[in-house]
Amino acid sequence: MGRTADTRGNRDGLVAGGFMLPLVLTILAFVVLPVLGTLWTSFFRDVTYLPRKLMWFSNYGRLLGDAAFWQSARFTALFVAVSVPLELVLGTTFALILNERLRYRNALRAMVLIPWAVPTIVAARTWELIYNYSYGLANYLGGLTHVTPGPVNWLGSPASAFGALVVADAWKTTPFVAIILLAGLQTIPETIYEQARVDGTRFDQRFFKITLPILKPVLVVALVFRSIDAVRILDLIYVLTDGGPGGSTTSLSLYGYRFFNEGDFGYGSAVAVVVFILAFVLSIVYLRAGGFTRASR
Amino acid sequence: MNEARTRKVLIAVGVVFMVTFSLAPFAWMLLVSVSRSPDFLAQGVDFAATARNYADILTVKSLHFLEYLRNSLAVGGIVAVACALVAALGGYAVSRLEFRGRTTAALGILAFSMFPQICLVGYLYKLAHWTGLVNTYPALVFPYLAWTLPMAFWVLTSYMMQIPRDFDDAALVDGAGRFTVFWRVILPISAPGLLSAMLLIFIAAFNEFLFALMLTTDYHARTIPVGIALFEGLHGEIPWGYIMAASALASLPLVILAAVFQRHVIQDVTRGALKA
Repeated sequence: MGRTADTRGNRDGLVAGGFMLPLVLTILAFVVLPVLGTLWTSFFRDVTYLPRKLMWFSNYGRLLGDAAFWQSARFTALFVAVSVPLELVLGTTFALILNERLRYRNALRAMVLIPWAVPTIVAARTWELIYNYSYGLANYLGGLTHVTPGPVNWLGSPASAFGALVVADAWKTTPFVAIILLAGLQTIPETIYEQARVDGTRFDQRFFKITLPILKPVLVVALVFRSIDAVRILDLIYVLTDGGPGGSTTSLSLYGYRFFNEGDFGYGSAVAVVVFILAFVLSIVYLRAGGFTRASR
Repeated sequence: MNEARTRKVLIAVGVVFMVTFSLAPFAWMLLVSVSRSPDFLAQGVDFAATARNYADILTVKSLHFLEYLRNSLAVGGIVAVACALVAALGGYAVSRLEFRGRTTAALGILAFSMFPQICLVGYLYKLAHWTGLVNTYPALVFPYLAWTLPMAFWVLTSYMMQIPRDFDDAALVDGAGRFTVFWRVILPISAPGLLSAMLLIFIAAFNEFLFALMLTTDYHARTIPVGIALFEGLHGEIPWGYIMAASALASLPLVILAAVFQRHVIQDVTRGALKA
């Protein structure tokens, strides 16, 4: 008996290898190899018109003394720290609303999905026009409601450009958070709430004592996905501010891209490796904090 | 009683905010796209409706909008079909076959979706130059394929996990090989999962920016997002009417697809994300 199970197991293993082969090869060739290639290139002076030369860690040494690199690192950290919590709060709010038994619930869900379906570049262009100084929607509404003292040059100062990016990013990515959290909410049985209601709790107590703790693992998943996405942000910024004013909104990815674009692959690769390490460390930290390590499998 | 009212008010306020926040920018895009000039909110300018922006981007050759659209549809379509098939093969193995390192392989593949694109694009650019494939479809198709595979793999694996193994066993007893079982039995049953995986892949490929920005140089392979990002007027002014019309045409199919398949999308995005 043991023997037949064993041969069956071996055969399955071979067959499984065949089935997995295209998937594994594609990922090896176009994800793993490029990342290793980038790491390797980061040890070289690799600039157009100059001979390639092994420099080991000198690109990384140059990073340490590069004020523009630190500026973009600070911006990226601040962007993650501000935009991700905002998106989680908004996403949770939307998910709670969409989980209610409302009329037109399906229509509402479809509406909330719109920003998720719109291409990021399209969203960026649209918000660029919204922030336009002379005829943008933001200044029009600001003038109408007198919330702003006068027209604001939204993308013209570092602080307002930062805020403008955060709002545009929140618009584009909140639906994703809301969708994930909605799925988490739907797993909570109604009976728990009924019992709590009988016990005379208020709805905010029920949210903080029941909903939030049950939702925690799902929140961690949303947090991981959003943070990693925010750490590597490029496209939205490329269109909205192009890293300005004065380099104040240049993300690490955009900073690295600039070097690739100028033909400095060695230094650009070193920046890219930093982005990789940040994304990697973030996911490990969160997964630890969420208690996902090993226990789940 | 009092609590029920507070709750109702809060929900009403929330719904109004949610709908305004989600729709207003999109509505603004549509409005500008049919406006003769984008500055109708400025004092002394009236709104005048026109279809001119749409007519121009569809007919003026030098804008290349239709070529960008064709490239996006072609690359997105090829990637969606190829990726769904390759992912389905892997999903079949993980959901049906016992082999060592099965969960490790499954989780490891998911981890690859976390890799920042900036870590790949420098190498991919050089690769495209060595092979002479810069500004061609293959230069985009292969990176997109690898980049969307983890997500598609997870959607399809979790879909196939739900299909009882009795289907396989019945066919295997009849003497069918594993691949026949996959192709003739499991793949057809997985059609709904395949469709929504393809939808997600297509949207991802259609929206991708950084790879397309670096790996294409002009309208022969340039995709819609890059086209829209680099749209410039002849004299340095920004042709907002054209940009918003192009934006509307680029997003409408996706928005309609997402709305129609709302339930599937919600299920699959969460399945992919939460099963992890």
